[in-house]
Amino acid sequence: MGELANIFIKSAFIENLALSYFLGMCSYLAVSKTVKTAVGLGLAVIFVLAITMPINWVINTWLLGENGIFGTDLTFLRFILFIAVIASMVQLVEMVVEKYSPSLYNSLGIFLPLITVNCAILGGSLFMVSKEYNFAEAVSFGLGGGFGWFLAIVAIAAIREKIKYSAVPPALRGLGMAFLLTGLMGMAFMGLMGIDPAAY
Amino acid sequence: MGLLNFIKKIEPDKKKSPFLHTLYDGFFTFAYAPNTVTKGGVHIRDGMDLKRTMVFVVLAMQLCYLFGTYNIGHQHFDALGLYPGFLEGFHLKLVHGLIKMLPIFIWTHIVGLGIEFWFAAKKGHPIEEGFLVSGALIPLIMPPDIPIWILCVAVAFAVILGKEAFGGTGMNIWNVALLARVFIFFAYPTSISGDEVWVGGFDKVVPGAVVDYGWAHSLFNTIFGWMGLSGFESGLSIHDAYSGATPLAIASKEGWSAVTEQFSIAQMWWGAIPGSIGETCKPFIIIGAIILLVTRIASWRIMFSMVLGCAFMGMIFNAWDATPFMSVPWYYHFYMGSFLFAMAFMATDPVTAASTNTGKWIYGFMIGVIGLLIRVFNPAYPEGWMLAILFLNTFAPLIDHYVLEANMKRRSAPPSPALGMAGATQSVQLEKTNSHA
Repeated sequence: MGELANIFIKSAFIENLALSYFLGMCSYLAVSKTVKTAVGLGLAVIFVLAITMPINWVINTWLLGENGIFGTDLTFLRFILFIAVIASMVQLVEMVVEKYSPSLYNSLGIFLPLITVNCAILGGSLFMVSKEYNFAEAVSFGLGGGFGWFLAIVAIAAIREKIKYSAVPPALRGLGMAFLLTGLMGMAFMGLMGIDPAAY
Repeated sequence: MGLLNFIKKIEPDKKKSPFLHTLYDGFFTFAYAPNTVTKGGVHIRDGMDLKRTMVFVVLAMQLCYLFGTYNIGHQHFDALGLYPGFLEGFHLKLVHGLIKMLPIFIWTHIVGLGIEFWFAAKKGHPIEEGFLVSGALIPLIMPPDIPIWILCVAVAFAVILGKEAFGGTGMNIWNVALLARVFIFFAYPTSISGDEVWVGGFDKVVPGAVVDYGWAHSLFNTIFGWMGLSGFESGLSIHDAYSGATPLAIASKEGWSAVTEQFSIAQMWWGAIPGSIGETCKPFIIIGAIILLVTRIASWRIMFSMVLGCAFMGMIFNAWDATPFMSVPWYYHFYMGSFLFAMAFMATDPVTAASTNTGKWIYGFMIGVIGLLIRVFNPAYPEGWMLAILFLNTFAPLIDHYVLEANMKRRSAPPSPALGMAGATQSVQLEKTNSHA
């Protein structure tokens, strides 16, 4: 149990997907203009990460691994299968969001289907493989990584709402400022880097 | 009045030389109360002139400046094993402190104010006063031995990217002084942390290292010679038992008992210990905090909840007790490192802190918790308050957003039945009209 908590904390704060690996930047920069849509997208990312991670784990170990049902090393199929799983899960999320919150569906726009190619999701699955997590650890990693990404996008959205009233130099307005904010946020998050929860 | 008339006469023309006019305006409003008071700016909540507010903060720091400057000299002679009493060799300690302190102070202001003036002239604004406080804070949070060029780069980074890019004073999200420090902390870690940087005047702080004095010291040697006082002796070296470690560095490695072997509690309280220039003397910081609280510039909610957060986390660590650092009694965490300084001058910065009252409680408490967490858990960073404050600065707008949202929700909620029949019928009617629509 302690091990799972460690992985959660580590993936959420210390190795934050958005602010220390800079994954998932496209939607992170584009959908962070208001807190409301940022919360919606963040929740969608948590959901997709938490679902795809265990499914991809099953596929990776039982279908593609040498000890899987085919008995041979099929890991060269990893990328294609992972993306297929992610795409179908995103489709599911899209249908759910459209049914239950049409306003959020409209404000997320193209970025909801684009979660498919959100590098944070595929990156999470690939991290899971390279870190050799077991099933429970993969679930914990998915939830933690999603939560960290959610936190980052909601925080930057609140800051961007606040600096709407600031006299930002014209050349920096919009995306320029978002890049600057992301960098400074990464610096602020660096305070937690180097902590090893497993040591306690 | 004659002086004022003369000064008014030399006012440069705004159109012909905007830079000179900006410069003139900045110094004029600093020396005399201007006819106009600041109206805009997100952090202004009454009619007080922004420049006066800032001056109060700077005044509150002056005792830290005095003590910090003297302490640089004291630590220097402590390393040499000379003048062990705090007031012995007073003139030497003071002069050595000034020789280390003045370049830091002057270069911070040359770079920071230069950028500020340049941006003000470019924007056609009068000079914004924000750098008064940042510029006074930055020297206090630097170690005495900081290389000047690194300091200049960091100040330029903080002022341009941390403040001017956001539109200037009152609009920044992160504390400017802390951004300058964190920049050095990550880009040049060896010149701002470790055991070597807290004593000025040596190439390398190890036992046996020979002191190296420059032209300024020999100049003062001559002056002291005329006055019949003792001077700086070159060729001395650091005595054998000296490590240069701060109490915090010792505590993180060996626990509290090792700290008390080297420093007494009174010494840590009064501040004759190695550390960043302004952070060591606790009573003077508390006097500064009281000045800020009495003038209502700093928020007592943030200070109080930060103490609560730190004490809460400290008690948890005491109960957990897994490493020597965790077993340091929670109340001694206030004696080591920069907790009080961060609480009084950094966390309470009205621009970067949460601005709602509920938000301030959450903000302060979380700084206390996360700061101590970083201090105890993170093996790479000995001190956590700078990083905790920057971390919470990131989340301050979010905290405010949700506090405001909760307020709006509470106020727009339909009146509860307890309020009486009038309210209840009204809400029923409202619901009916809604369903018809």
